[in-house]
Amino acid sequence: MDSGRWDEIKKSLQPTIKEWKFILSRIKKSPLSLVGVALIIFYILIAILAPVLAPPKPGADPFMVPRDWLLLKRPILERTAPIPPTTNHIFGTTEGQYDLYYGCIWGTITAFRTGVYVTFFVLLVGLVLGVVAAYYGGIIDEILMRFTDIIIAFPGLILAMALVVAIPNVFNLNLSLLISIVLAFLAALIFLSRRLKITTKIISEAILIIAICVLLFVYKIEWMMTINNLDKVLIALILVGWPGYTRVIRGEVLRVKNEDYVEAARAIGCSDFRIITRHILPNSVYPIIIMASLDIGSIVLSAAALSFLGLGAPEGYADWGWLINISRGWIGQAGLFTYLHAFLIPGMFIFTFVLGWNLLGDAFRDILDPTLRRR
Amino acid sequence: MGLGTYIVRRILLIIPIIIGVTALVFAITMLFNVYQRATLYVRDPKQLTPQNIQGIIDKYGLNDPFYVQYFRWMGQVLQGNLGWSVTASRPVLDCILDKFPVTFEIVLYSAPIIIFLGIYLGVKSAVHRDTIIDHITRSVSIIGTSLPSFWLAILLISFFYVQLGWFMPTRLSSEVQHFVESPNFIRYTRLNTIDGILNGQLWVTADAFRHLIMPIIVLVIIQIALIIRVTRSSMLEALNKPYIILAKAKGLSDKEVINKHARRNALIPTVTLSGLLVASMLTGLVITETVFNMPGLGSWAARSAQTLDIAAVLGFTMFSAVVFVLSNLIVDILYAYLDPRIRLA
Repeated sequence: MDSGRWDEIKKSLQPTIKEWKFILSRIKKSPLSLVGVALIIFYILIAILAPVLAPPKPGADPFMVPRDWLLLKRPILERTAPIPPTTNHIFGTTEGQYDLYYGCIWGTITAFRTGVYVTFFVLLVGLVLGVVAAYYGGIIDEILMRFTDIIIAFPGLILAMALVVAIPNVFNLNLSLLISIVLAFLAALIFLSRRLKITTKIISEAILIIAICVLLFVYKIEWMMTINNLDKVLIALILVGWPGYTRVIRGEVLRVKNEDYVEAARAIGCSDFRIITRHILPNSVYPIIIMASLDIGSIVLSAAALSFLGLGAPEGYADWGWLINISRGWIGQAGLFTYLHAFLIPGMFIFTFVLGWNLLGDAFRDILDPTLRRR
Repeated sequence: MGLGTYIVRRILLIIPIIIGVTALVFAITMLFNVYQRATLYVRDPKQLTPQNIQGIIDKYGLNDPFYVQYFRWMGQVLQGNLGWSVTASRPVLDCILDKFPVTFEIVLYSAPIIIFLGIYLGVKSAVHRDTIIDHITRSVSIIGTSLPSFWLAILLISFFYVQLGWFMPTRLSSEVQHFVESPNFIRYTRLNTIDGILNGQLWVTADAFRHLIMPIIVLVIIQIALIIRVTRSSMLEALNKPYIILAKAKGLSDKEVINKHARRNALIPTVTLSGLLVASMLTGLVITETVFNMPGLGSWAARSAQTLDIAAVLGFTMFSAVVFVLSNLIVDILYAYLDPRIRLA
């Protein structure tokens, strides 16, 4: 790459670098957000080092928590009782002699996976639908917003619970139908964006789309899917979570859409796609995307609640909520301290993980708030 | 637009949302196959033979298109029939009416604490921005949002119930429960704390409170953060407005400026939030009720979701959607009353 072009790139990155330097300086100033950063780095390290910290048995599924079979041979009454920390089990064991240390370490990966997947898909759906609703407006906007009204009208946890129960473990995903629906949606979009003017080009496009749909139905593509309960929790949280983001992103795009520079881009003949990706999104939704990714903490909290209710992770799966759920029966047996570790330790993991994200989120909320910044 | 027109318009807007919500709930049940759905209508193990199941499918038209089934079901709902709950072996509507007071009693005591304490702390922390009061309030509220409610509840139970024996889970101690159900005790409101006073049996009220305290603590700690945060940020915004400077310039005391000028204007977002908070608490105390073993709506819904009691889940979701939509309506009307700009828009 010649140096002139490199300088150009550097110059264009200048505002971004400046912005990040500003954010970093603000984070450094507040001790609470530093604690948040430290907690998150700590958990990222645990997740990366999990195979070293708690090596799984060769050939076994690393996410299944090992049990201590020797302890299970004890007299019948105390067979499954949690035992306090020993040299063999650093955190002790929990009900059914599952190793708590192993479960907590690998549970970190489960937590990250839950948080990242749900955030990613919720944002993706929210971004696409929010931009479409705001940019094109009219009937599409009306339909989408009424739909978000409906989903927001539900208590989230209950809807997620009902969905986890209702989604079957094995189902035929009809890919033909899905692709046709997406195509029809796109077609409607193209059609409506041209203000309902019927030209030959539109007719030819419509014929092409119909032809593809017919072909898809003739050669039916089906995909047998088997999903476990944890995946169902992810799907349920995504289905419950997208309307909130769609609304917020829509609001932001609406704010930016009538700015002069968008008008100017349209005047020089930029395509809709270019206007959206180069002019609208960079000026509206990056802060929202950052804020939403910091919601990983609250998503992990909901997933843990579902696991705690017995609707999430299957038996023996490394998941913090499940570990608390199985030790529930021992609350109040034999005084306070005998079995306290069994729910105290996994709970501390959930709490500090979520705390890290919330501390960082709180710092970012102040940094990104345009009314409070840069005095 | 006057306030009256605004209210009428807002009420008319509810109808499509209710239809949408119920259709969505009904659509979720369609994920189950026809035989699973048929077991909903079974009242007696003898009916579980293949012919009888087929009879049920024919009788209730479970193979009809979605919209036919939906309208048939809606017709039933409008007549007050929400179906039969297998877990409770009672009609779903009776269940809801029976369990609602339990949930309502918890909300009745925790919601005012959350709202008023939250507003107080939010205003305090905005007025003393970046001082030690602000830092403590913010840290406490961040810790509150980060605590898993079920874990906090378990810790409270092991400390206050197992170790100290001060407060208990469940709704009433068994001998009190026995007395409350006897004919000597008239259940005016079905709220134990209030019925105890109305009957002149203060020990019933005291016992009810000993069982209510732990759920209230959990809810206050978990829910207060949002109120504090919203009040704090809208208060900060209000304190920077020109009319505050004017009020100060006129020589009003700090107390008067904060209480009469800033706080009133800052409270509008908090009003909205409080309404939604109460609605979500009335319908969503799933975790708290389950851990503390309170026989309320939330724990019943959780149990029926786990045992695939579709009629109960459907009925409960319907109920909570209606509560939510109605409270949204009340909040909107209140909002329009407080802030005339809304209805003029």
